[in-house]
Amino acid sequence: MLPKKSSLVIITFGILILLLQWTKLARPFVVDAALDFRPRPSAIPEEPLRARPQFRSQNKIVIVPQDPTGPNLIDPHGALKVFYQALWRTEAKQPGAVTRILHYGDSPVTADSITADARSLLQEHFGDAGHGFILIAKPWAWYGHRGVDVHGGGWHIEAASQSRARDGFHGLGGVSFQGGTGASSQFVLHKDHVRIEVKYMRQPGGGTLAVEAGESTIGKIDTDGPDKQPAFQMFDLPNGAREINLTVERGPVRIFGVSFERDGPGVIYNSLGLNGGQVQMALRFFEKAQWTAELQHEQPDLVIVNYGTNESLYADYIERYYPGELRELLRRIKNAVPKASLLVMSPMDRGERNSSGQITTPPTLPRLVEIQRQIAEETGCAFFNTFQAMGGEGTMARWYENQPRLVSADFMHPLPAGAKKVGVLLDQALESGFRQFKIKQEQRLAEHTPSKGTDQ
Amino acid sequence: MLLSTPAYFTFLIAIFFAYWLVARFRLAGLAVIVFANYFFYARWDLVYLAVIPVASSCDFLIGKALAAAERPGVRRALVTLSIALNIGLIASVKYMPGLPWILPLGLSFYAFQSLTYTIDIYRRDAEPAESYLAYLASASFFPTTLAGPITRISTLLPQWSKRELLSPQDSGKAFFLIGLGLLKKFLIADYLAENLVNRVFDLPNLYSGTEVLLGVYGYALQLYYDFSGYTDIAIGSALLLGIKLPINFNRPYTAQNIADFWRRWHISFSNWLRDYVYFSLPGLRSRWKIFTYANLVITMAIGGLWHGANWTFLIWGLWHGTGLAAQRWWQVLRGNPKPSANFAIHFLKGLVTFHFVLIGWIFFRAANIATAREILTQIGSGTVSFANVAPGFLLVLGIAVIAHYLPKSWYDGSLRLYSASPFYAQAAAMALLIVAIQYIGATGAVPFIYNKF
Repeated sequence: MLPKKSSLVIITFGILILLLQWTKLARPFVVDAALDFRPRPSAIPEEPLRARPQFRSQNKIVIVPQDPTGPNLIDPHGALKVFYQALWRTEAKQPGAVTRILHYGDSPVTADSITADARSLLQEHFGDAGHGFILIAKPWAWYGHRGVDVHGGGWHIEAASQSRARDGFHGLGGVSFQGGTGASSQFVLHKDHVRIEVKYMRQPGGGTLAVEAGESTIGKIDTDGPDKQPAFQMFDLPNGAREINLTVERGPVRIFGVSFERDGPGVIYNSLGLNGGQVQMALRFFEKAQWTAELQHEQPDLVIVNYGTNESLYADYIERYYPGELRELLRRIKNAVPKASLLVMSPMDRGERNSSGQITTPPTLPRLVEIQRQIAEETGCAFFNTFQAMGGEGTMARWYENQPRLVSADFMHPLPAGAKKVGVLLDQALESGFRQFKIKQEQRLAEHTPSKGTDQ
Repeated sequence: MLLSTPAYFTFLIAIFFAYWLVARFRLAGLAVIVFANYFFYARWDLVYLAVIPVASSCDFLIGKALAAAERPGVRRALVTLSIALNIGLIASVKYMPGLPWILPLGLSFYAFQSLTYTIDIYRRDAEPAESYLAYLASASFFPTTLAGPITRISTLLPQWSKRELLSPQDSGKAFFLIGLGLLKKFLIADYLAENLVNRVFDLPNLYSGTEVLLGVYGYALQLYYDFSGYTDIAIGSALLLGIKLPINFNRPYTAQNIADFWRRWHISFSNWLRDYVYFSLPGLRSRWKIFTYANLVITMAIGGLWHGANWTFLIWGLWHGTGLAAQRWWQVLRGNPKPSANFAIHFLKGLVTFHFVLIGWIFFRAANIATAREILTQIGSGTVSFANVAPGFLLVLGIAVIAHYLPKSWYDGSLRLYSASPFYAQAAAMALLIVAIQYIGATGAVPFIYNKF
């Protein structure tokens, strides 16, 4: 016999729910899943899905969507030639052949995510010429580089993406550190290096900075100068020195970062991430002449511009201003280092919860990626479609559902395993492009080289 | 099939009608429950249809043999066999990742429940089940499968014999608990998790000290509302079938000390640890008090490791074990004082206990020791920013705190009011809740935290 009241509650409840669904006040419920015995599919498909961006072009930039089955690294103008040539020399172990990469990015790069994996793979395959650039303290707790521990105290920190230095002098890495007497930084290297270069500001009234390796002072920098300008000083490190200290002996001293190098041949992969980094920030808040001097000093073979996640929040900005600003930033870099290869690297996928609770890619993101691709092509730069390479729309939803998860609960910042995937994808694309470049060059060389028989 | 999904409630309603239609025929009623249990397991993976009946049959037979055996050596061998079988079941799905037979559902709660049967018979605290079907219905009773409450089989078995029709009071209580569980899960626990807690525990260095601290407070409340919400749904589901399960939570964050906390938090689990682990350890009757303290630490360390073979869970267990041992030592030293009537002292003791538990939760939730350290470092950094804290999060956090500390009489009054309401009012309230969840919760069915243990 059925319990009367409970049965009536259930039946009335069922009727009410059906009524609510019929009047569209409640969304439909998926109840047939109760009988679904199929094995649950893996959250991450074996083969990455291809992005299929769908949108209407709204103004000046008319976008022809990228072929979703096409390559992720697009370089129709051979923009990566300089980089590939440098890499070839490095691979051939030519004396002093160091391939230098500058990778500008936003918050994931701030933690050396993606870049650390790309760096270790490239260095494993082509040689390790050193860690490269690192800031002298943590502007954000999140900041950190794999292979070098950094701790600093007593510095007034101004990042271009946040508090900003009034004069726009943010150095190569986008952060300025001003220290009075006693301010200090400590670096602990996980590998031996042979040189340290201090990147600082020479300025009227500038103080003195001591550079120490372990217990011994290896040099001092007098930062006083007739006018404000970026300056660089290199010091040899004693054999086996792993603990390096910078101490302001007399303030004020302004520093932008340091760089650690080993004897080549090899790759130096500089990770230059800023929390909240974006194209507009670099354009407006990197003082042009100073940044140009910093870039020129580095003599990079490849500059990677990897912004977009922060911009993807603003649909109107993307349509109205973003194309022009990206164009201008690329032009500025090209003017500063005309010999370097320039690669635009798209942002990763980003997720948002929609009103149904599903994690979806906001339509602004594929739109921004397409604009980047078009601007890269128009300006003669190479383009790496990270978004497509990692699986396109809905990747972060799949990464979030995956066990273990690959992305943080903000559906934006990759967890280490997710970052590694992207780092590997970037490395694979660059190395695959390099192999193809080599084959073409060798074929061309073979065509133009007379055979031995002809010589005789 | 999670206990918070429409599919589960469709299943529950079908079982409700099927069961009560035949309940007066005892065997038919038990057959419906056994069918429901195995259907529930099969929805997770068909392989359970082989594993669970075999394991249950073994324990049933071991129980019979234990009751018949008189020689201590044989009895010890039999109970050891049952322990090995059930612990092996947990270990095979929990601690050996990568094996081809890895199963989606942890069987800890099934195994714990089964062990109460054989160990109780071994200790002569219970009689073996007379009916095989009643044993199968009890051992794998579907509302308790995912995360308890761990119910002694000896308390379930007699309930299948006592066939009374579901009273309107019990019916009202069942619906009230199910509704309350859904509300706790979707409107509080999932909201807190999605809007700060998960982010902070994923990448604590992205957030300021105050944000991380709020995230940790949020997690303490998320865990309580998530797990107690699950328990409410489980107890309500069982009650709809006329079965009474033990309570699992009693306003744990009002605890005055760490022992009091464990009398209020995951009660069925702490009772299980006490009865089947702590009391089984050697040296309990020794005059050396050190055994008492050491056994408390060992018991809680085992409890920690049961959650997963991970250093963070071990630290969590040791933290609580050390806390319990220190409290026991203090009681031995100073006697057992009367609870203070002074509100300030009462409040202070509650605050200290809560924060002791909170530190444990950091290790419990963090993916690894490094993340736990980062969380503590960020909190210690003293950096102040609320940029990542949405007003909605603070509102829900505030509601969660207030709701936790409301007097129990308010809860009892609401339950009485709901149970006394006419059927259409009860149904309307449930429907209203579902719509509210759809509009406010909007996160889909996120698995209950304790399903994975």
